[in-house]
Amino acid sequence: MQSLTVKNGDVLDVELSEDVGAGVRVIVDGAWGFSSIGRLDGESVDRAAAEAVRIARASARVQREPVRLAQVEPAHGEYVTPVQRDPFEVSLDDKMDVLVGADAAMARVRGLTVREATLEFVKERRHFASSEGASITQTIIESGGGLDATATSDDEVQTRSFPNSFGRHQVCAGWEAIEAMELVANAERIGGEAVALLSAPRCPSGLMTVILDGTQAALQVHESCGHPTELDRVLGFEAAYAGTSFLTPDLRRTFRYGSESVTLTADATRPTGLGTFGWDDEGVPAQRTVLVDRGLFTGYMSSRETASVLGEASSGTMRADSWCRIPLIRMTNVNLEPGASSLEEMIATTRHGVFLETNRSWSIDDRRLNFQFGTQNAWEIEDGKRLRLVRNALYSGRTPEFWRSCDAVGGPGEWRMWGVVNCGKGEPSQAMHVGHGAAPCRFQNVHVEPAR
Amino acid sequence: MSGRTRDELMALATATLDHVARGQREVVATEHEQQLTRFANNTIHQNVAESSLQLRLRVIHEGKAGVAQVRGESPDTVARVAALAEQARALHGASHAAPLPGPDGGADGPVAYSAATKGASPELRADLAAVVVREAERGGVLAFGSVSTSTTRTAIVNSEGVARFAESTEADLITVVRGDDGAGYAARHAVSVDDVDAPGAAAEAVDTCLRNQAATSIEPGTYEVVLAPYAVIDLLDHLGWVGFGALAKQEHRSFMRLDERMMSPSVTIVDDAHDGLVFPFPFDYEGVSTRRVKLIDQGVCAGFVYDTPTALRDEVPSTGHSLPQPNTLGPYARHLVMSDGDATPDGLIGSVKRGLYVTRLWYVRDVHPLRTIITGMTREGTFLVEDGKISQPVRDMRFTQSIVDALADVRGVSSERRLALGEDASAVLAPWLHLGRFTFTS
Repeated sequence: MQSLTVKNGDVLDVELSEDVGAGVRVIVDGAWGFSSIGRLDGESVDRAAAEAVRIARASARVQREPVRLAQVEPAHGEYVTPVQRDPFEVSLDDKMDVLVGADAAMARVRGLTVREATLEFVKERRHFASSEGASITQTIIESGGGLDATATSDDEVQTRSFPNSFGRHQVCAGWEAIEAMELVANAERIGGEAVALLSAPRCPSGLMTVILDGTQAALQVHESCGHPTELDRVLGFEAAYAGTSFLTPDLRRTFRYGSESVTLTADATRPTGLGTFGWDDEGVPAQRTVLVDRGLFTGYMSSRETASVLGEASSGTMRADSWCRIPLIRMTNVNLEPGASSLEEMIATTRHGVFLETNRSWSIDDRRLNFQFGTQNAWEIEDGKRLRLVRNALYSGRTPEFWRSCDAVGGPGEWRMWGVVNCGKGEPSQAMHVGHGAAPCRFQNVHVEPAR
Repeated sequence: MSGRTRDELMALATATLDHVARGQREVVATEHEQQLTRFANNTIHQNVAESSLQLRLRVIHEGKAGVAQVRGESPDTVARVAALAEQARALHGASHAAPLPGPDGGADGPVAYSAATKGASPELRADLAAVVVREAERGGVLAFGSVSTSTTRTAIVNSEGVARFAESTEADLITVVRGDDGAGYAARHAVSVDDVDAPGAAAEAVDTCLRNQAATSIEPGTYEVVLAPYAVIDLLDHLGWVGFGALAKQEHRSFMRLDERMMSPSVTIVDDAHDGLVFPFPFDYEGVSTRRVKLIDQGVCAGFVYDTPTALRDEVPSTGHSLPQPNTLGPYARHLVMSDGDATPDGLIGSVKRGLYVTRLWYVRDVHPLRTIITGMTREGTFLVEDGKISQPVRDMRFTQSIVDALADVRGVSSERRLALGEDASAVLAPWLHLGRFTFTS
């Protein structure tokens, strides 16, 4: 992995890292055990396997039913992330040029307190083999980058991020993805917006129309659709930590999750997503599952174990964030499928509302119903026109009511695959990289207010 | 799996340091073993162990700096990490990295260590889980949670003469117990697995669960609250995140106005890595001895925690609160202790005319860091308090509240405190608090 950071004109960090090891997961006496070790020699892996067996036998001491797995055909093959230009073939100097250039552009804005520019590149070689006969090799390549510009005053701290918050936007792709971000070209603009936010009026409050940009739509999908459609949460596997889900199996194919405009999929085959691969970490092929079909709740992301509870096949979403952790059901690319509208049309047909850009804060309850999000930018809209920038916008609601109020989703031209690199789940905690395809989308009668 | 001795890990760190001939060099060698047994629906459903060695090498030379990190072992690990660090440094542009600190004579103790935790078996962890499961079964409810043990050996050496080593352990039991329509929570954290009170945690979680069935909704609004320590730690942890570090001050992001009274005189918060109650650890990731820092003194903002880069900027000594360098987060207070009071939890509840008792908070996020406004949900045990008594369970609610404002109106502090872990695993020792105003928005 390569990580490069320029802060306030100074090269803060150039970090090169490697990570090597093996994990062994076993079922013994109908119970799970797992052990991992940071060595690849046969003797060490044998020791890890022996420990996994002992752990599984300990698990069997507290068990009601033996583990059952949905069947899967043992897979053989290789998958490599398609890239136009391998980012590890691009020199560190060229990468640094992008960061220094973006920093210099932000520095042209007077009044910024902190400027940060970051690039990250990952190349992971993952081998999977099972006693059922599977043998798979995958090489996953990720490229990410981002800018943060922060301005401060006596009573405000305002940060603008580009292309996304949480440090960077990341995709499964090569250097071409960094070039497409146009970090340098956008740096001065976001710096100016950070400064402008310090003195911008406070966001209006009340029930109004809300238009989300693609990045905030992606996070809304992540929190209010992605997590509640993870079948391990539904079955209580995460109840003591991440929580459960309001989308119980009895609601499938009858519960109206959203409006007719809302179709959501978990699609590990979609190009450039951080959840795009050949097989999951149980050797189940990548696939596309419809979670919500024109508003109707229809499906889950599942594993072999959880799918067997419902008498179904796994949807292939088991992923571990490294060799030392077990695979868990994780989002692949959970997408809001494109509609037929556009941002311009949504704004033009809005009487009173706000257009919200780039996440600033996010919180949702443990069943994924009650949410409150804040965004960095908010643009007030009146009578079809974008009026002015306002600050500290929050919007809140309950998941089904919110998605049922969705009356427009942007078309394929505005639909883009976004990356979330900090999705936490599991004990010990795992941070997964997941994808979300989304376009700007519009919601009616949403509660909006400023932070106060 | 057995790990290296002190001498073996120090020798490995020194060999890594010596592999690069020039410049200032720093090696952080970390050997970590963790085991975690997870249960759900009264069954162990995940049970894992991991062990790993990580070498992190930082090189500063001729105005350039580079960092390499390798996790995992092979015959050429030392040479590999050295080569990567030099590669990073050679291609690095101009850097103004702070010089590395020298030795400060601090002792490599006290440190939270227990041989019992280091040697804990999967059978022991399963038996602790079984204690909770059996108690849940007796109550006719379902138990979920985890039992974990971990051992970490940390060796830090640098070219200026720093040579530190510490071996630390931690044992944790966390459980959520669920009935048909409501849940309870309990957690215990200790240095020694022998001190993890599984029966106590099980009884507490089952009791809360059984009292928390069929909750009803109440109107959002501003209420008096009694917060259990599980909830208080979130407030303290977020204060640390947004304001106790010197980098936040230097970048004008901290709420702290030094020497100004911003909270109730009942509020005193220190960071004390030597306090035996909060997983003591003697030094930071630069090998600097960690000092006790008074952050809030009877409501008055009293100080910040520093690492070497921020200390140089303010021309003060580092307080030994560095995260691995370089980083964008700045120094961090990881051993927060809030002073106790003289009340009992029941006494605090008894002084509430109409308010809420909150067991824990969930998904707490910063809404406005400078004003310490956070939002989140209550979870697994929110109760209405009427005329000094808990009267009924209420549905979980969303709160949006300034922490500083909440801590400005403290009406009581318990003498009993609980150790808990923040979201980023910082240790926090917190009492029960009676607060005059806490705003619930939905």
